[in-house]
Amino acid sequence: MRSPHQPTRRATLAGAATLLSAPFIFRSAHAAEDIKLGFNGDLSASPSAQSGRAAVVGIQAAMADLAREGGVLGRPLTLTIRDDLSQPPKSIQNMSDLIDNEKVVAVFGPTNSGNALAWKHIPNQKHIPVMGCIGSATDITKGTGGDNYMFRVGSVDRIQVVTLMGYAKKNPRSGKIGFLTETTGYGQGGLKDLQEVAQAQGLTPAANEKFNVNDTDMTSQLSKLKSAGVETALVWAQGTPIGQLMRSMDKIGYFPTVLTSWAADNLSFMNAAGPQLAEKPIFLRTVSETRSPRQQALFDRVRPNIDADSAFSFAVHGYDGTMLLARAIQQAGSTDGAKLREALENLNGSYEGFAKTYDHPFSRTQHDALGAADQRWTCWRDGKLAAYSDDIVASLKPEDFKG
Amino acid sequence: MLATWLQALVSGLAIGGVYALIALSFSITFTTTKTLNFSQGEFIGVGAFLGVAVLYLLSGQDEGAALAPGASAGFNYPLAAIAVGAAVGVIGILLFITAVRPFAGKPGMSWVMSTIGFGIILQSIGLAIWGPAPVNLPSPFGDDVIRIAGAGVRPQEILVLVVAIVLMIGLDLLLRRTRMGKAMRAVANNPSVAALMGINVSAVMIGAFALSSALAGIGGLLVAPIASASIFMGLGIALKAFSGAIVGGLDNPRGCIFGGFALGLLEASVALWQAQWREIVIFLLIILVLAIRPQGLFGARTLDKV
Repeated sequence: MRSPHQPTRRATLAGAATLLSAPFIFRSAHAAEDIKLGFNGDLSASPSAQSGRAAVVGIQAAMADLAREGGVLGRPLTLTIRDDLSQPPKSIQNMSDLIDNEKVVAVFGPTNSGNALAWKHIPNQKHIPVMGCIGSATDITKGTGGDNYMFRVGSVDRIQVVTLMGYAKKNPRSGKIGFLTETTGYGQGGLKDLQEVAQAQGLTPAANEKFNVNDTDMTSQLSKLKSAGVETALVWAQGTPIGQLMRSMDKIGYFPTVLTSWAADNLSFMNAAGPQLAEKPIFLRTVSETRSPRQQALFDRVRPNIDADSAFSFAVHGYDGTMLLARAIQQAGSTDGAKLREALENLNGSYEGFAKTYDHPFSRTQHDALGAADQRWTCWRDGKLAAYSDDIVASLKPEDFKG
Repeated sequence: MLATWLQALVSGLAIGGVYALIALSFSITFTTTKTLNFSQGEFIGVGAFLGVAVLYLLSGQDEGAALAPGASAGFNYPLAAIAVGAAVGVIGILLFITAVRPFAGKPGMSWVMSTIGFGIILQSIGLAIWGPAPVNLPSPFGDDVIRIAGAGVRPQEILVLVVAIVLMIGLDLLLRRTRMGKAMRAVANNPSVAALMGINVSAVMIGAFALSSALAGIGGLLVAPIASASIFMGLGIALKAFSGAIVGGLDNPRGCIFGGFALGLLEASVALWQAQWREIVIFLLIILVLAIRPQGLFGARTLDKV
């Protein structure tokens, strides 16, 4: 016997359904207002954290500018930030959280390349575009069969290697080239690029030496380069060991032309090498140290919120990446991931960004917006980063960048 | 070619001097207490940072800017070395009281874990105070390369070598010629008999840990101008130094010094051949030495009653 006060089974079910669907009703109503974007990257743990923080500053500056123009599709943008502490497991967890729980339409990041490689299958499976602006590993934006949702406005190891090799080939001094790499994943990834690109450009290294990231004396390795007659050394390592390498060159009085990975822009390189030796290597960045008035205005605007002058390029990547994404949303007329990817791959018109003017920055097979022609030659002068130029840099043409 | 080999010799001796000094510090506690401080690496890092702190204080510089090249000049560097030696020595006594004495002489290897744990605590405190970034420490004799027959060496590397040799000779004399040294050797030989002879065994053991830790701290201060002071700088050095001590024979201080230098020279010469094979060659050699002479090259053959 059922008491008359007890609700019927049907009423109970209906009530439960209403209760369960309430958050979804709320969420979809909420989504109609905001376009949610996510950031997933290291903001506090590794030495690269300052780059992650600078990227976020750039993204937020772009969002503020978009908000002034009335948002995208008439809707405001919001940014949900997740710090991955540079740990791959945490980064993977953040990615699922941002996509499944926060329902973001696109994600920026990560700071550390390894983390992107750890989770790039997730956005590819869930059809959520990722805009990289910090990590530079070549494989991040490489497709793995099927649709590729990984995009990047930033530095790419492979493109740096191609550009540096173009310089090495044209250097009248470089009768012979040699490689010096660190035995970490970063250094060995770079070595693979160096070897492949050298082959593509018809160069054979006369020496190929390795060192540990904590080494303080690389004189033995350098002696081998010296006796092999190497006059252009291509170095792939982090800031501190490149600094120690310069000190070891000083010890044996051997100074070939030194072309290095962009890690030499880090203050840790400057500290290890000292101000005089720091002026020797040449490397590539995406934003020149001789800033245009427009770049200077952005620099002055964001500089109070970033940790170092050298981190400005990441703010630029974040800013331009956000703007390109906004244009893709506008063009797609929707925030659907697959449509967004298609819009990014076929972006109409051109956009005057802060790193360059983007004209069809991405295609189905090309997901890196900044290429060899967008690299800016850089060096240290008087303890500060400066634009580098010489006759070889001036003579480099697009056809010199092969590989 | 000669210059290349000379460069390897000079570089090997410089790094070998550091290994030898730390290897000796392992030997000091092992011979007196039959225990080792497995956090010696952290003591090196802490020593370097304490040195940086003392130099900031002595040169009256603001903490915000990097140390000026002249900050180590004059009496500043030796004063920093004394301060670091004393402070890290006190930390060593603390280590002995909290992490070694409760377990020493008891069955089991609890002291291995407790000294490693002490090191982790020390490292975490160091990270909280100084952070993970390396800090520059200028050499007292400047940074200009000195040329010897085509090979280049920095003044700090010569200083490391000279200080390491002076300290090692001094300690050798202390152990062999003084009453204190005799007491230490007596405790090492047989603590109960030493106690019956009126030697304060406890004090000797505390002294051994203080001395060993002070050496690690000074080692950190010596290496910092070459490698930059960092809380992680000591781990690699301590591992190599320990390997050197094992090769030379942990219970023979002179053997440990030999082992340290041998390892440094070996590193530099293997790098002349193939740098990426360096660690493989070194550790294969250590395994080989231990297989043939388990007590190390100069260690005394001991029989454990089972």
